[in-house]
Amino acid sequence: MRDDPVVIALVARARDGDQHAWNELVERYAPLVWSICNRYRLNRSDIDDVGQTVWLLLVERLGNLRVPAALPGWLATTTQRECLRVLRSARRYDSLGSPVDSQMSPDQSSLMIEEEVIEAELNAALRAAFAELPPGCKQLLSMLLSDPPPGYAEISSTLLMPIGSIGPRRARCLDRLRRSQFLTAFSEREIKDNGVKDARTNDAGGGLRA
Amino acid sequence: MPDSWDDEQLLTALKESLRVLRAVPSEFVEAGKNAYAWHNIDAELAQLTYDSTRDQDAIPSMRSETASIRALTFTSDHVTIELEVSGDSLLGQVIPTQQGTIEIQTRAGPFATTQVDELGCFPIRPIPASPFRLHCHTGDGTDVLTGWITL
Repeated sequence: MRDDPVVIALVARARDGDQHAWNELVERYAPLVWSICNRYRLNRSDIDDVGQTVWLLLVERLGNLRVPAALPGWLATTTQRECLRVLRSARRYDSLGSPVDSQMSPDQSSLMIEEEVIEAELNAALRAAFAELPPGCKQLLSMLLSDPPPGYAEISSTLLMPIGSIGPRRARCLDRLRRSQFLTAFSEREIKDNGVKDARTNDAGGGLRA
Repeated sequence: MPDSWDDEQLLTALKESLRVLRAVPSEFVEAGKNAYAWHNIDAELAQLTYDSTRDQDAIPSMRSETASIRALTFTSDHVTIELEVSGDSLLGQVIPTQQGTIEIQTRAGPFATTQVDELGCFPIRPIPASPFRLHCHTGDGTDVLTGWITL
């Protein structure tokens, strides 16, 4: 995930004082931070605590990011470290409960971080691709994704579309999604990163240090 | 790779990406956005250089339920701020010794102000329940902000 120009541009703008760019970064990566906290089964107030610490650390380091595209890796490892800190202090002070400390081995935990980062980047790419679809496609896919999915008859009457054209339209919309620049870029980065995973993990940790 | 997925795989992945986003409470995201208020503050940052709990953890044999006095040290290029928890209050000292003011800030905003006496000492009572940081101004123009403290 090292060459994502979207992230690089957002970091540069946030560094120069653009609150909107910062907001976009937070929206993009809040699910990553949230998801890692959940992997450690933190309670809600601890998750809030970890989230605050992570974002505040990032605010302070914005000016020092040497490799802005390493941001997701840095966020993931920083979140992980803060989760472990919270779990350690819970263990010390709470004699009643038996909080789950990291039951993961170092290998499992770095694999988990890597999975979470890739997942977060894939999800961000999918959402960006979806947001770019024409309104008709977004409407149709949204209906198809709702739970439980409505029948074609209901889709037909809601979207004023003949039943017979729903299938082909669905295929066209998904194809459009598949060809989105965001998904293509994600796949290209993944291919490029394959085989240099260790280097990427190291970079993600070190790239943001002062 | 998503660009070679079939329609079902793609639809499932899209659904998951939207579900993951919805699972994150909006207040959690808002709190993250608000953190930007700390961008570009002029004060020099003092880093945590010693934490009794952390440094005890590093040596497992010394871990003990009775060794409970919490001490923290923050260091910047110009000053060191030492903190020690004492009952329901926190005692601090600015080194080298100088008079000044300490502003206690929580994530919600300013919490309290306390004076640094001629020995460089200052009390904080009560200890904020939420994470906080200290902004120290002294007579000779020192302007230092510590990292976040959770006790």
